[in-house]
Amino acid sequence: MDRGAWRATVHGVTECTRLSDSHFQVVCINNINFQRKSVVGFVELTIFPTVANLNRIKLNSKQCRIYRVRINDLEAAFIYNDPTLEVCHSESKQRNLNYFSNAYAAAVSAVDPDAGNGELCIKVPSELWKHVDELKVLKIHINFSLDQPKGGLHFVVPSVEGSMAERGAHVFSCGYQNSTRFWFPCVDSYSELCTWKLEFTVDAAMVAVSNGDLVETVYTHDMRKKTFHYMLTIPTSASNISLAIGPFEILVDPYMHEVTHFCLPQLLPLLKHTTSYLHEVFEFYEEILTCRYPYSCFKTVFIDEAYVEVAAYASMSIFSTNLLHSAMIIDETPLTRRCLAQSLAQQFFGCFISRMSWSDEWVLKGISGYIYGLWMKKTFGVNEYRHWIKEELDKIVAYELKTGGVLLHPMFGGGKEKDNPAPHPHFSIKHPHTLSWEYYTMFQCKAHLVMRLIENRISMEFMLQVFNKLLSLASTASSQKFQSHMWSQMLVSTSGFLKSISNVSGKDIQPLIKQWVDQSGVVKFYGSFAFNRKRNVLELEIKQDYTSPGTQKYVGPLKVTVQELDGSFNHTLQIEENSLKHDIPCHSKSRRNKKKKIPLMNGEEVDMDLSAMDADSPLLWIRIDPDMAVLRKVDSEQADFMWQYQLRYERDVVAQQEAISALERFPTPASRLALTDVLEQEQCFYRVRMAACFCLAKIANSMVSTWTGPPAMKSLFTRMFCCKTCPNIVKTNNFMSFQSYFLQKTMPVAMALLRDVHNLCPKEVLTFILDLIKYNDNRKNKFSDNYYRAEMIDALANSVTPAVSVNNEVRTLDNLNPDVRLILEEITRFLNMEKLLPSYRHTITVSCLRAIRVLQKNGHVPSDPSLFKSYAEYGHFVDIRIAALEAVVDYTKVDRSYEELQWLLTMVQNDPVPYVRHKILNMLTKNPPFTKSMESPLCNEALVDQLWKLMNSGTSHDWRLRCGAVDLYFTLFGLSRPSCLPLPELGLVLNLKEKKAVLNPTIIPEAIAGNQEAAVNPSSHTQLVGFQNPEDDHLAKEASCNMSAHQQGVKRKADTPLGSPLEPGQILEKNEDSSKVKLKIRFSSSQDEEEIDMDTVHDSQAFISHHLNMLERPSTPGLSKYRPANSRSALIPQHSAGCDGTPTTKPQWNMELPRKGTGIHVSVSHLEGKEQPPLEMSVHTAAAAPLSVFGKEPASSKHSEHHHHHHHEHKKKKKKHKHKHKHKHRRDGRERGRGPLAFPSPAGGRSARSPSLSD
Amino acid sequence: MADAAATAGAAGSGTRSGSKQSTNPADNYHLARRRTLQVVVSSLLTEAGFESAEKASVETLTEMLQSCFNVDTLPAYAKRSQRMVITAPPVTNQPVAPKALTAGQNRPHPPHIPSHFPEFPDPHTYIKTPTYREPVSDYQVLREKAASQRRDVERALTRFMAKTGETQSLFKDDVSTFPLIAARPFTIPYLTALLPSELEMQQMEETDSSEQDEQTDTENLPLHISPAEASDLWSLTPWPPSSLSPSDSCPCLLRILCSVLHCVTWHSRLPLIAATAWPPLGQREAH
Repeated sequence: MDRGAWRATVHGVTECTRLSDSHFQVVCINNINFQRKSVVGFVELTIFPTVANLNRIKLNSKQCRIYRVRINDLEAAFIYNDPTLEVCHSESKQRNLNYFSNAYAAAVSAVDPDAGNGELCIKVPSELWKHVDELKVLKIHINFSLDQPKGGLHFVVPSVEGSMAERGAHVFSCGYQNSTRFWFPCVDSYSELCTWKLEFTVDAAMVAVSNGDLVETVYTHDMRKKTFHYMLTIPTSASNISLAIGPFEILVDPYMHEVTHFCLPQLLPLLKHTTSYLHEVFEFYEEILTCRYPYSCFKTVFIDEAYVEVAAYASMSIFSTNLLHSAMIIDETPLTRRCLAQSLAQQFFGCFISRMSWSDEWVLKGISGYIYGLWMKKTFGVNEYRHWIKEELDKIVAYELKTGGVLLHPMFGGGKEKDNPAPHPHFSIKHPHTLSWEYYTMFQCKAHLVMRLIENRISMEFMLQVFNKLLSLASTASSQKFQSHMWSQMLVSTSGFLKSISNVSGKDIQPLIKQWVDQSGVVKFYGSFAFNRKRNVLELEIKQDYTSPGTQKYVGPLKVTVQELDGSFNHTLQIEENSLKHDIPCHSKSRRNKKKKIPLMNGEEVDMDLSAMDADSPLLWIRIDPDMAVLRKVDSEQADFMWQYQLRYERDVVAQQEAISALERFPTPASRLALTDVLEQEQCFYRVRMAACFCLAKIANSMVSTWTGPPAMKSLFTRMFCCKTCPNIVKTNNFMSFQSYFLQKTMPVAMALLRDVHNLCPKEVLTFILDLIKYNDNRKNKFSDNYYRAEMIDALANSVTPAVSVNNEVRTLDNLNPDVRLILEEITRFLNMEKLLPSYRHTITVSCLRAIRVLQKNGHVPSDPSLFKSYAEYGHFVDIRIAALEAVVDYTKVDRSYEELQWLLTMVQNDPVPYVRHKILNMLTKNPPFTKSMESPLCNEALVDQLWKLMNSGTSHDWRLRCGAVDLYFTLFGLSRPSCLPLPELGLVLNLKEKKAVLNPTIIPEAIAGNQEAAVNPSSHTQLVGFQNPEDDHLAKEASCNMSAHQQGVKRKADTPLGSPLEPGQILEKNEDSSKVKLKIRFSSSQDEEEIDMDTVHDSQAFISHHLNMLERPSTPGLSKYRPANSRSALIPQHSAGCDGTPTTKPQWNMELPRKGTGIHVSVSHLEGKEQPPLEMSVHTAAAAPLSVFGKEPASSKHSEHHHHHHHEHKKKKKKHKHKHKHKHRRDGRERGRGPLAFPSPAGGRSARSPSLSD
Repeated sequence: MADAAATAGAAGSGTRSGSKQSTNPADNYHLARRRTLQVVVSSLLTEAGFESAEKASVETLTEMLQSCFNVDTLPAYAKRSQRMVITAPPVTNQPVAPKALTAGQNRPHPPHIPSHFPEFPDPHTYIKTPTYREPVSDYQVLREKAASQRRDVERALTRFMAKTGETQSLFKDDVSTFPLIAARPFTIPYLTALLPSELEMQQMEETDSSEQDEQTDTENLPLHISPAEASDLWSLTPWPPSSLSPSDSCPCLLRILCSVLHCVTWHSRLPLIAATAWPPLGQREAH
């Protein structure tokens, strides 16, 4: 409890904490069936109650079928209730994303382990209450099984002949953020640490890889199976537990024997090569952190159909098998090494050190990203590092400016959620599971950039000291026996991290944190200057745009570097509120006559041709924020010659790149020359040279009328890569020098972008590329040329220009452009050759498919998705599938094909590979068939329904997928009710209101309600919503106060935050509150004493379970008719909810209590009598911790008579079987669960699978 | 007994006087040999100074000659100075070899070869005349040739494949101009995608042969080649159902293709293909 209290003070948001600490957990999976894709096992949690009166224990569990729960060997009743299965009750016709997001966020927090919630609620048997009051250990034993899991565990079972091991079948755990609950019941939080014993019984031919040390493997008697026993003695959260089982080939790392690598059969040689580098990464991290790798062993597993490329878990990382490569592959090597290094960084920060709460995630992502950056710098050099930082910075800037701000620490600063205007209206950032995936990617990117900013502020040395401190505290803590306060040292929190920083460095970084961590947005600078010759002063004007979305105002120091004739000088300007202009004194007089070398920033002195300069000014170039010490976008104005000087002579690759992108605006021979010079310069960073290629192509196109000589880059390429004697023939491939390899690959691609005066690709260029392909000869090369050839196809595709079409004739072979014929010839040959001699990762097929789509789009080839659809099928390599799907997505957009859209959405629902499903949604969002502001024949009610269903209930097994569906829905329809839906009838207005405030329908006349709806719908603005709500809340508040007056539970008043003023602008909060209000009113109006315990229900949970219960009860089509009437009745006192509420409340208990043999009669009143005491007890303590699972039931009280009826029936059944054997009851439970099948929603089926209540 | 004697006799006589008649059919053979032996015995007798002998004694001596006979001493005996040369057996209608071409002097027989033996071949047949095609030294032509040959092979092969299997087409009205081999899903797609193709491995072996280290990944890759598979190519049956083999698409064709592509070079690599082109067979890592 003390931890909880502390946590609450730190964050001010954790209203309720766990009432117990688990400290040891056993996971035992004793049967894995690959054929049926099922898992059977049990878990055993050892729990210390931290409060007396603990009578309910909440755990996380999804998908699992739970057979039996025992606490200290006593049977315990439990309820399984997952509100995220179906977010909104399906009769809601409004399809309003705003509503959905709120409901979803509420549903997620209703089961959030950090708030002490969970899907599985176990009642502590009354025999143990005394035991609990003494805070003694509880052992919870749960038997569960998992049948065809759709998330959490992924089975890969190729359909070939042979045993499972021969087929290469395997299974592994996966998921986004804390997703362990998908495969075994646990407290699925990063902040709940315990030690682990993991046992997996698998076929003798299989290997089970899991966390910790492999203690032993034991064969069964018949020698057909063996059990792997793993022990993890370092306290670890359940979310960091993982598993991979398959017929793996095993490689003990030759450099570090405690590291073991696993891969699928036949890939061992690739594994050897791929992992041969890993030990260097280990050495690097251990050295900079001055800390040994915290776990006693490390395992890498490479599996197929990976959820993400890299997933780090405690002492084990799961990688995509597609990262494996042989020594011949150039391009994949750095990428794979980066993945390895990334996962290893996360081993330290992320696995070993875990996070306190979601709002502390940025620290871990930041640190692991930051040390990974250090590794990059060491391995690939400073240029590569700076280039990467620039790339990441550009990414985050582009995202924030386009989509909205990224807030690293959403709940910092104490108090409630700040009045931070939600940067992203369509999802809540309060919880990781509600985030858009793209947002999360950007979040990670921003986190490490901010960590770098902190380093800039306090120096790297201190930074590493802080990390070392965190690690050494954690490792001291990890070796302790169970003591919750010690173990909490292994959790990092924002405040703890900042404290360490100030302790170590003695510096105040608060402003920095405030700017970048507590606030979202980036800075947008506009720089321009004038040189005042008289004063010899540079007048620099720096403007900011802080009004556009995703921007913020920057106040503070800003570095400006000025390169003058006499050298390079740094100036630190103070950016203040109102000052725009800054005078910077120049050091040098202009004196071009003296021939003198010009000193650069790095001390180098160079000769320059200064003739291009402005004769009056000594300025060569000016850079604003050269160190990228601000998360910013800089648009600075300079003369073209200054950019050219900057490109040629500035040694910083970032500056060179900036110059290149600026030069696009200056298509002059001088720019051309500067770019060509850079291209030729061997010392120049290869990425800069590559960028110069594309810039040169653009300049050439702008200068097309005055361009002289051969097409840009042609002679250069010829000189560099072609034979001396026959310049049209390329040398045989030799990729020993990677720099020139990359240049050789890129130049033709850029050249293909050249256009002549007719806006066609010059014939000369096409012939040149075709010749490159023709004469390509890789026989003497040590490396594979697959990427090179793929880029040649990309070049061909780049050369394609729109077909000249005479009155929309049909594209046939006869009217095929001869150039295109040549291109097609090559593509056909390449694509066919791929079938016979496939290239690594099928890069060539991927490029061919893209090229074919380009030809289709440009009208040379009939537009037809069938080819792509065949390549998109399951069974092709994933890269091919994605490329093909991208083409189909594009086709769907261009041809507005409803059929293809349906095909894609079907695949989203049914494809066996989670990554592909995710990717389809992602691509549809990026390249949508239509958007909210667009009229499209595709936009119809059926599609709305389909997508709604997908995100509402069809994706409950995968957080990432659901968020992807939400993103797509947002792109297509926006926040409010999709415009293609028919206008709601008046009867339905109520539903819409329900999310705003329940009181509306009764209090506000319908005409007004209609108005309000109109106000909400068209502009879909959060502000509007926010504006409207306070009123409603106010009403709600009043109502609640009144009502609570005649509630008898005095203590309850304390725990309901209703009396406190609501924060404006927080939809979520409001939503919860309003639901709270709703319940309040209802219960008070029912005046049913037995229902008072409802009050302790965690509000959102009640809200959710209300929806859920709706679903779990079998319903009829008439249900939707009931709903509005019902909620209305709930609100209007005359309609006493009690009358239908009472009977529906109890059946769940009904089922359990008899089983528990407490000798209770089935009669309702009796049950309630029994129920009272525990609830009473909990009321005392529950101020901070609403536990009352069982209180949920009353939420269903408003259900229709139909439910009522059903439960009566149910009860009768109960009565009948009361004395029969247990499993009878279980069947009953199942029947109940099965009930929803009648209900035509997808979630119905799902909830049937997950037993909502069983013995 | 008679047989054994006859064999021994044949051996003996063969070494001495050639085996002209040994190619006659069995009966003839025996008669002829007998007669020759008799001639031999008679000439020996003549050499020894006899002028005439009774038939019975000649027969006896012939029998003796067949029975006891020392091979080792024969060469010396054959070269004795006062030997008597047996005249050639009468040859009916001896074919006259037309003297088509004569160049130089024919080598005479060495002394121990009877002159009626065939003459040595004409001297010019011993002369080595190495002939080469005019070596193409023009780099451009070579590259051109290599490239176009390679391309032709590839195109022919892919078209052949396309003709014999399912295809897809970019144009609805035409399936033959740009035939695309139909996309066929793999059961284990990552194997084909990740493992180096055989052609690549071959190259790797060649380029790496100088710097062989144990890292050469080729050795452990399971590659199964069996003569049985090779026949598949020509039967034009659909490819066998794919298995866990990396080249599960078309195992045999792939190999043929590799070799064809390999052939298309300006060096003749034929011996290489015949002997060492294939990596060691199926050394699968034990697991």
